[in-house]
Amino acid sequence: MASRFDVVQDAESRDTYYLNMGPQHPSTHGVLRLKLHLDGETILSVDPVIGYGHRAHEKMAENRDYLQFLPNPSRVDYISGMIYNIGYCQAIERAMGIEVPERAEYIRVIANELNRISSHLLWLGTFLLDLGAFTPFLYAFDDREKILDILDRVTGSRLTYCYGRFGGVTLDVDDLFLQQTAEFCTHFKTRFALYEELVIDNVIFQERTVGVGVFEPDLIQKYGVSGPCLRAMGQANDVRKDEPYGIYDRFDFDIPTQMAGDCFVRSLVRMDEMRQSVRIVEQAVKDIPDGPFIAPKVPKRIRPAEGEYHFCVESARGNFGIYIVSDGSDIPFRLKMRTPSFANMATMPDVMKGTLLSDAVAILGSIDIVVPEIDR
Amino acid sequence: MSLLANIDGVRETTDIDHSAQGFHHLHVITLDALVPVTQTFFDNGFYLEMMTCQDRREADGIFRLVYQFCTMSTPQRHLVHLDIDPTTSAPSIAHIFPASDWLEREVFDMYGVGFDNHPDLKRILMPEAYPDGAHPLLKDFVDPESKGEADGQSV
Repeated sequence: MASRFDVVQDAESRDTYYLNMGPQHPSTHGVLRLKLHLDGETILSVDPVIGYGHRAHEKMAENRDYLQFLPNPSRVDYISGMIYNIGYCQAIERAMGIEVPERAEYIRVIANELNRISSHLLWLGTFLLDLGAFTPFLYAFDDREKILDILDRVTGSRLTYCYGRFGGVTLDVDDLFLQQTAEFCTHFKTRFALYEELVIDNVIFQERTVGVGVFEPDLIQKYGVSGPCLRAMGQANDVRKDEPYGIYDRFDFDIPTQMAGDCFVRSLVRMDEMRQSVRIVEQAVKDIPDGPFIAPKVPKRIRPAEGEYHFCVESARGNFGIYIVSDGSDIPFRLKMRTPSFANMATMPDVMKGTLLSDAVAILGSIDIVVPEIDR
Repeated sequence: MSLLANIDGVRETTDIDHSAQGFHHLHVITLDALVPVTQTFFDNGFYLEMMTCQDRREADGIFRLVYQFCTMSTPQRHLVHLDIDPTTSAPSIAHIFPASDWLEREVFDMYGVGFDNHPDLKRILMPEAYPDGAHPLLKDFVDPESKGEADGQSV
């Protein structure tokens, strides 16, 4: 089907111009700059300029031991920091062969999935804000605030969690936490109808998103797209199912997929993922056993045997991989973080080509980028 | 039957314990084999999951480029090692996997390794105006802005 916005082939014969979107544009969710080449309002090419939020996490890793690096991963992606923090712990645990007690595994799953819901809620609010709808933001943040309060009470932080420890978690959770979590799940399930009515069924929202920013299937292999963007292209891939880590293989949950690959179905996939996360949390709260919350004997000195290790988890944005090269000492020789937004962002020149300038805002919002995660 | 058995320049292929290290296979290749190896992975449905570099100049006098190819479902993760002399550059694979466009730029930015035939090799994370020759992930990197300070720390 010919698009309404076919790229003008003989661009040189027309007056075209360059426009900088960012680095301080509100809809770039941080400091990201898009160098747009425009013909009228049609985008001829995009050159994303990244690195404004570079904090040299990988260099820091080479200058401190494994335990000292523990607070860093959650700063890489501060929206789903719990998943990164615990993912790093799991990577070290596997390299060191540390056994994690059952109760700690369940606590981790609950914390991870709550964090995933809060991340998706933040996406929902800010995405709609980008599209010009202010009200859903207030509802989404109302729910998100409940999660932050629940996690704040047991972890001590609201965003940049450092709750995981090698072999378990920092502090045990109490009955009140489980009760609050169960109450949140009950409450949150009643909210889906509201979000559907307010957002998904909204005709303006659909006009702005249906058929906009379609990812062509070949991008999957070329760029390694992952997360909800991938699942909105009909691929049912999720690290939690494909390469189960922790105790994810014990839970009953589905991988929501959609076929169209546009902004609208990416939203549907995230809405469904929140439902699945609620399912996982409810099962975990029901089954959580008593017992220790951290392994009794964790080696004082973390020194993985010489070699290379890779561990990946499903963050709220996709496949987050940690690649560690150990030379047998206390300090990592090399630690590389494969962040999902980096790969998803790299597709932008292909995806945005030929779309309208206002659609660029919708596309950026719909892939749910977190700029510090791209820049590390 | 190994995937890369018929390619010259694949020096060594070993199996790795996935449950302990997260990889299934390790291939050590030479410079000439990189493009055919990458093409083979592309033709067999792999994607480029990650690419980076290790600064092994002090111990072995080399840069080790690391490529990680993976399949989508039921992951098969292949690790590819390419050791290069610090004075040479490597061929770019951005024409096969566009993902490596940014990843190669990052390696260039952080280690100063050049890539032949890269579409637009420039810094990606550090500012464009960052001093030439300053590559932060080199083991002997000294922050140009703190040069001459006494503490001797690289960060």
